[in-house]
Amino acid sequence: MIDLPMLPAILIDMAGSFVIIVLSFLSLRYAFLLTRRQPENFLWGFLFYFCLTLACFSVSRAVGHLLKQILLISGRSEQWHILAPYSGGFNTLLMISLAAVILYYHKGIEGYRAIQKKARSLTHANAQLEVAAEKLQRLNQNLEEMVEERTMELSASEKKFRNFFTNSKDMVYFCDSANTLVNMNAAGLEMLGYSLEDDPKLQLNAIFHNEDDLDQYFETIISVGFVEDLEVEFVRSDGTVLYVLLSATGIFDDDRQFLGCEGIAKDLTRLRTMMEQLASSEKMASVGQMAAGVAHEINTPLGVILGYSQLMMDDFSPESEEGQNLEVIERQAKACRKIVADLLKFSRQSESKRENISINEILDDVLAVTEHSLNMDHIYVHRDFSNDLPTVVGDTEKIRQVFVNFINNAHHAMEEEDGGDLFLSSRYDHSANQVTATVRDTGHGIAEDVLAKIFDPFFTTKSVGKGTGLGLSVSYGIIQEHDGIITVESPVKIDGKDVSGTAFHVKFPAASEESESAIQ
Amino acid sequence: MWVTADCGGQVNRSCGKPEHVAWCAMNLIKKIHRIHPFFLLFLILVFPGNAWAVQSHGAPEGLYVHQLAHVFYTAALCYFFWNIHRSKFKSPGWRLLQVFCVLMVCWNIMAFTDHTLAAVINSAHITGGGDYLATRLRGPATAVNIWYYITKLDHIFSVPALFFLYLGMKGIYKSSVKEEEV
Repeated sequence: MIDLPMLPAILIDMAGSFVIIVLSFLSLRYAFLLTRRQPENFLWGFLFYFCLTLACFSVSRAVGHLLKQILLISGRSEQWHILAPYSGGFNTLLMISLAAVILYYHKGIEGYRAIQKKARSLTHANAQLEVAAEKLQRLNQNLEEMVEERTMELSASEKKFRNFFTNSKDMVYFCDSANTLVNMNAAGLEMLGYSLEDDPKLQLNAIFHNEDDLDQYFETIISVGFVEDLEVEFVRSDGTVLYVLLSATGIFDDDRQFLGCEGIAKDLTRLRTMMEQLASSEKMASVGQMAAGVAHEINTPLGVILGYSQLMMDDFSPESEEGQNLEVIERQAKACRKIVADLLKFSRQSESKRENISINEILDDVLAVTEHSLNMDHIYVHRDFSNDLPTVVGDTEKIRQVFVNFINNAHHAMEEEDGGDLFLSSRYDHSANQVTATVRDTGHGIAEDVLAKIFDPFFTTKSVGKGTGLGLSVSYGIIQEHDGIITVESPVKIDGKDVSGTAFHVKFPAASEESESAIQ
Repeated sequence: MWVTADCGGQVNRSCGKPEHVAWCAMNLIKKIHRIHPFFLLFLILVFPGNAWAVQSHGAPEGLYVHQLAHVFYTAALCYFFWNIHRSKFKSPGWRLLQVFCVLMVCWNIMAFTDHTLAAVINSAHITGGGDYLATRLRGPATAVNIWYYITKLDHIFSVPALFFLYLGMKGIYKSSVKEEEV
């Protein structure tokens, strides 16, 4: 037999019911806080609904139990019997709901799990993307640095070549497939007589003097790809000719189509003139040596002929036939001796004095003798002497002879033209420390083919008996002896225009103070 | 075997892939829901019996429904326990929820037993003499009587269960806050 009081169960039931309500709402509070923190989190949503349903169930059940105990304690069991089915019904309903929430949401949890998995996968992919992006950024940064570095290198290189192009003293040019010079440096334009400001639109065929040179230039470039050390002539803007050494390279595309060319040209005009002068000097020197040898060899027998002919003239009357023949022999022997003396002057074998000379005075002296006869032939003299002319050191007589030769030649040239003008000028070039005297006539000038021969001994264009052909040769020898330079210009270029006539320019080195005082 | 299913004509998904299992399950439920009314209609048409519009229920039905609700609730709690177990949640709060499930299942068993015993116990053994608080269980020491007395103390399980639920929710909330701060 058992006899157990139900009071503990009643008390536990009432206290437990109350505690359950409190605990269920505390749980619901945390579930609510979770949903507030992360409303998009499905799991927290599930926990919230679960706790909510549980709280409802707890309230329903606990209130039912409390009500039961209170009603039974207060002796109103009939009322409880009325309410009991409702309480039980609610409890059943909420219990089923609670189970349904759990089971219903399990699908949601599965979905949530799949989403989470996807999210993890996306997070992983995102992390990989971030790594890739970082790598890409690093690469990009490197690329930017590389580009910057290359740009600087390129800029330095461009500057270097630009400087080379701009500062080069030789002509540097680029031309396109239509032979138009698209770029030419300042030195090149200056060489051709243009300035950068002109910005001339030049064609290659316009600056080549000879068409054959141009043909050879293009043929070589097309066939070989380049030309090297091609000596050609260019035409300047004023029409004068330049001698240049040309090297150029063709530019072709992948199909070997000609796109243009780039080249460098070096002005050889001065060098060529110097070479010609050197060659001429060498020729004249060898001719001079030969002339000196011949003169020496002839001088002795000539002296004997002249001596014996003069002795024999004492034996015959001047009116006799023998006497007249001897006079002819003597005259011709003297003429030969003069030629020999000229040859010796040309070959600088004759002795020279050294004194301070004023070129202006010499020119005046020469004109004093020759001007009258010049005027007789309608040749008018024009003087243009510089007042600040320094003296030169040399032999007055020999230099006077030089100018006499020039004036005589001018006289002969203008005589044939029935007169003309003779211009004599002098000037001093401070930079070169040279005194230049110029004798210019307005005669017929000298033909181009004989221009190179005029200083050769015995070369003359005059008829036989009118000249020995030694005048200019002797002048050349004398000027050389005085360390001077003699140049000839025919036709004469004045203000860019060719004027008929011939001009002789003689350049003497100005006397230095030491030599001047030593002579004094 | 790879099975492809149409999903709105946009993307072909393969149910063989793990990430598509949930989607395929949802799709299947939708299909069953669509078929369900037609299936019932089919059964009514094929097996027509006495069609009673209204059916009366006996007195014990309420108890049965309530007991079934306990069974249903127990099953749901078991499933919840297993689901937490397989989900491998990181927060320790979920472990406490599992404890809640175990205690709640125990409470359900106890309540189920109590309801059953209340139906079979001899009411003459419960006497109070008009004073409810003085009610006593008097009778032979049978298993029914003893278990009836024990099962009346069901709050021994339900109160701790709710306490663990509270601790679990608090733990989950704290973990969530901590995770977010990190």
